[in-house]
Amino acid sequence: MNDRTITVENLVKTYPGKVMAVQGVNFQVEPGSIFGFLGPNGAGKSTTIKILTTLALPTSGKATVGGFDVVSQATEVRRVAGVALQDVGIDPLMKSMELLVLQGRLFGASRGEAVARAKELLELVQLSDASDRRVGTYSGGMRRRLDLAMALVHQPKVLFLDEPTTGLDPVSRRDVWREVRRLNRELGITIFLTTQYLEEADELADQIAIIVGGKIVTEGSPAKLKAAMGEESINLVFDTPELAEKGRSMLETMGDRVQLDRDMVRLYLSKAAGSIPTVVNRLQEKGLAPISLTLTQPTLDDVFLQVTGQRLVATEVQNQKKASRTSRKAEVN
Amino acid sequence: MTTNSIALTSAQPGTKKPISLPLNIFLLVVRSLTTLLRTPEALLPPIAISIFFLVIYQSTLGKAAGFIPGIGGSYLGFILPLSIVSGSLSGSGIAAQNLVRDIERGYFDKLLLTPVRRSALLLAPILAGAVILGVQAAIVVAVGLLLGLKLATGFPGLLAVIGLGVLLGIGFAGFTVSAALGSGSAAATQGASFLFFPLTFLAPTFVPLALLSGWLKVAATINPITYVLEAMRSLLNTGWDGKAIGTSILACLVLAIAMYALAAFALAVRTRRT
Repeated sequence: MNDRTITVENLVKTYPGKVMAVQGVNFQVEPGSIFGFLGPNGAGKSTTIKILTTLALPTSGKATVGGFDVVSQATEVRRVAGVALQDVGIDPLMKSMELLVLQGRLFGASRGEAVARAKELLELVQLSDASDRRVGTYSGGMRRRLDLAMALVHQPKVLFLDEPTTGLDPVSRRDVWREVRRLNRELGITIFLTTQYLEEADELADQIAIIVGGKIVTEGSPAKLKAAMGEESINLVFDTPELAEKGRSMLETMGDRVQLDRDMVRLYLSKAAGSIPTVVNRLQEKGLAPISLTLTQPTLDDVFLQVTGQRLVATEVQNQKKASRTSRKAEVN
Repeated sequence: MTTNSIALTSAQPGTKKPISLPLNIFLLVVRSLTTLLRTPEALLPPIAISIFFLVIYQSTLGKAAGFIPGIGGSYLGFILPLSIVSGSLSGSGIAAQNLVRDIERGYFDKLLLTPVRRSALLLAPILAGAVILGVQAAIVVAVGLLLGLKLATGFPGLLAVIGLGVLLGIGFAGFTVSAALGSGSAAATQGASFLFFPLTFLAPTFVPLALLSGWLKVAATINPITYVLEAMRSLLNTGWDGKAIGTSILACLVLAIAMYALAAFALAVRTRRT
């Protein structure tokens, strides 16, 4: 068993009141890879990460981290695993330097070693200038970076990141992504990350599992998942959902698959570009004209839509979009 | 985060052996004291209340005390122990304050993910609280001296008085720590420390034990505060009394051990992986 592997077999977690948060999950994370655990809120992502990091016990099933059983070898798991949980658990009254030094010393470093390590990590996450400030004064992005640094103090072989960029602005989000990638490439740390953002999983992960309602609905590499969707698609937007429905029924026989999403029809077929004239002609014969036509490679969003029948749009992204729209309006006025 | 290319190899703590319990406790006590000193608003009220009572009792009852038999010295020496004891009670909540904040903020979970000893998580806040109580008792004693306190046992007796105050506070801190672990809520923990308040009066608070009667005497007999008050009073007013001191230390230890057991149980419940 490689010391950077994560294995999960038939993992089940039932909470009192018979809520089955995780319902027989299986997967394996290859050593040195980034594994993206993707799903909407309440899908069972956090429960799985709590079990893997020894904060919760599984109801049944088996899981190992770095070759150690998460139930019977919890202490060993804690030594090989670094964890940054969704709710950043840091004492606002302490300074980041103090937090990192204490963390290092609890893991057995001498004071000198712990201080050296803390300095190194503060530089890594670009908090050196703020090392003497109370954490309570930090911004959300700074706290997240400190939390990442704290997870790295004892040089873990496996790193668990629970929604590492939720609530961060786009710039901080890219910073975290870059850091995660670097930790993985340069230090060979296996990274298990949960996210609600398809973009994030697509950007970072070598392997992805999509979890919905406590069950894994699909898994594979981003490329493989996208390939399984059919090669390309032609997307046609109509004036109304009714017109779109008409369009859908007309195009049904043309490609591998047709999907209707409100006023948009997606026609999946190989050599989509070459088929555009035929598609447009077919619609025109019946007097239907789409208001826009685009050609896309499948995205993970499509994968998600296909396997779950719903879009995975984090509310926050919508809010951000709303906010930017509002600000644009304000400028016009 | 673009230009860094740190080797990240200066230390290998991941491969170290677990650290010893005393070091564990020391690290966490230092951390507790550091943050406690950053919240002076929580440290000052218990001291203020202690001094307030001391001055009030001394001013209102100091003259009348001549009528009460068995005080055996100055009224100040009789009432100062009450002031220290009530400070120990109201100050015992300090121990749980960090703990409750850690639980609420999630830092407690973070500590659980380190190889920290579970008993250190319990003892550190209690001991940090004890340090604070010691300082607090010393301040009250200093105010007593300013008010003209005479000592039957000299400076060592003063240290013994402070030590007893701290020892009693450790027992009560065990209780507030249990409340913090059990509830995980700051309000509930605060409430738990108020429960002690009546205990101060189920004791020979204003008159010697011999003058109490009926149910109050029974209550006072099983209240550890009784023995602490009596030992402190003998130290200040009459002289070294081995039996009184021994009994009070025993009473404090029984309380502290019982409360530690309760806190250990509360910790086990909180950290039980479910």
